[in-house]
Amino acid sequence: MFLVPAFVIYVAVIVIPILYSLFISMHDWNGVGEMKFLGLGNYIQLFTADEVFQKSLVNTIIWVLLTIVVTTSISLLFAVMLNKKFAGRTLFRGLLYFPCVIAPIAVSIIWRWMYDPNIGFFNWFFDAIGLSYRQTWISDPKVSLYALFVAAIWQMIGQPMILFLAGLQTIPGEIQEAAFIDGANSIQQFFRITIPMLKETFVMVLATLIVNAINVYDIICGLTNGGPNNATQVLSTYMYTQTFQYNHVGTGTAVACVMLLISLVVIVPYVSFSARDE
Amino acid sequence: MSGKTKKYGKKAVLYLILILIGIIWIVPVLAVVATSLKSKQDFFSGLSLFELPDQIAWSNFVNAMTKGRLFMYMKNDLLVSVIKVPLGIFVESLAAFALTRTNIRHKTGIFIFFLIGMMLPMQVALVPINVIFNKINWINTFHGLIFVYIGFGISIGILILRGFMRGIPRELDEAARIDGCTKWQLYYKIIMPITKPAVATLIITDFLSTWNEYLLASVIINDTYKKTVPVGLMTFVGEHGTDYGYLCAGVLICVIPVLIVYLVFQRYFVEGISGAVKS
Repeated sequence: MFLVPAFVIYVAVIVIPILYSLFISMHDWNGVGEMKFLGLGNYIQLFTADEVFQKSLVNTIIWVLLTIVVTTSISLLFAVMLNKKFAGRTLFRGLLYFPCVIAPIAVSIIWRWMYDPNIGFFNWFFDAIGLSYRQTWISDPKVSLYALFVAAIWQMIGQPMILFLAGLQTIPGEIQEAAFIDGANSIQQFFRITIPMLKETFVMVLATLIVNAINVYDIICGLTNGGPNNATQVLSTYMYTQTFQYNHVGTGTAVACVMLLISLVVIVPYVSFSARDE
Repeated sequence: MSGKTKKYGKKAVLYLILILIGIIWIVPVLAVVATSLKSKQDFFSGLSLFELPDQIAWSNFVNAMTKGRLFMYMKNDLLVSVIKVPLGIFVESLAAFALTRTNIRHKTGIFIFFLIGMMLPMQVALVPINVIFNKINWINTFHGLIFVYIGFGISIGILILRGFMRGIPRELDEAARIDGCTKWQLYYKIIMPITKPAVATLIITDFLSTWNEYLLASVIINDTYKKTVPVGLMTFVGEHGTDYGYLCAGVLICVIPVLIVYLVFQRYFVEGISGAVKS
């Protein structure tokens, strides 16, 4: 009885639309006219003939890999530093976390400003330290994806950092002490004790980071919206433009379903891992 | 002696690194603040980024609020958030109550069913929601947007509230039952008052994620007068792409209320997240 409202809303907003999406993705449809059944036609088209889709798939994979390697290590590093006792710890923690509460759209506009080739921060900075190095940043196809990733790190590092910090605080001090007495140096301690004891935190951090990386949208939409020349096109932006700008609703929905399938690769093991100790 | 010096040396290095990181994290905000204070003329006079103009251009802020319609966007967003958050928490707490306090079968299965929604890409529900809302005329309505927000908030809400409610001792239920409490009374007289800390955390985090949401709002709302802050901000940027001072003032206006909420309720964020790790 108590479950009914949540169940009804959840089914109406999430379950039915997902099933409906799978259905639409098998059709050629412009959103208003007749639907033409294609079977897996949209998917075959995407994977064999659609170069922009393939580019966005590769970019999404790059984004996921960068997130796994760079975001995880930086946030763990910050957490280890902030786990030490020193004056001003709360201040630093607050400082590193605050971009998480700002709307990603606002963050993307702030960084558009940082990267502005004429009067933005970065080129001002090179000027100030006497370098004549200039870069158009997000308008340069070679660096734009990475420039966007820097903005994304600035925004979201606080979330995994706080998770790691919470995990680190569950490690009892005696274990570290015992290791110290046994003559382990701090690097050995870190790899032999800290990391293995953070296993559950790692699973949680990686699962959420990867899923967020697959779905990344706001920050890219606000900074480049996939441009220049599709250099920063990811699955989510491609899905949006195909569906809502070109009215290729069938294709766009198929892209969304590809995102769903990729997400499931992470979600299924994660959920079974967390449900194991129930 | 040398051990002590070494310890201080280590601490100094730690501070140095942290201060450097801190500067990197605060610079984007400072750059926006510095820019927002300049008028259009100041840019042509070749003022460098962090130099302040003789005359601070407060008009940037006033214009962004009124002509830029940011005040209206904020009113809309506030209305949506203020209705969505309590309604969502009510629905989620009922479900969490059912999952921890009643004898229904397959509790873990039902929980997993709800949990999965937290990680699914929103994009996969976007087109159907758009199509259905067009049919039932819910496009450009606040109740449509609120309904969808509640749906997408259910997973995280159940996760947090269920985690907390599981820790409430069973003996309380027993005592309440002997005193003649119905299930409903058990929910609102006993369980909910105890769950207050988790609800407080959820109110703050849920409010911010609702306030900041862009993708769904951009699909459901396209009437200028009904836009929420993130969607409105994109419109604002589109309309004033080259007037930098004005643009940065607009971004700041959108960011400042959120930062105030954050500074006041900071401990709830950390507690909420740590709670999620422990459960």
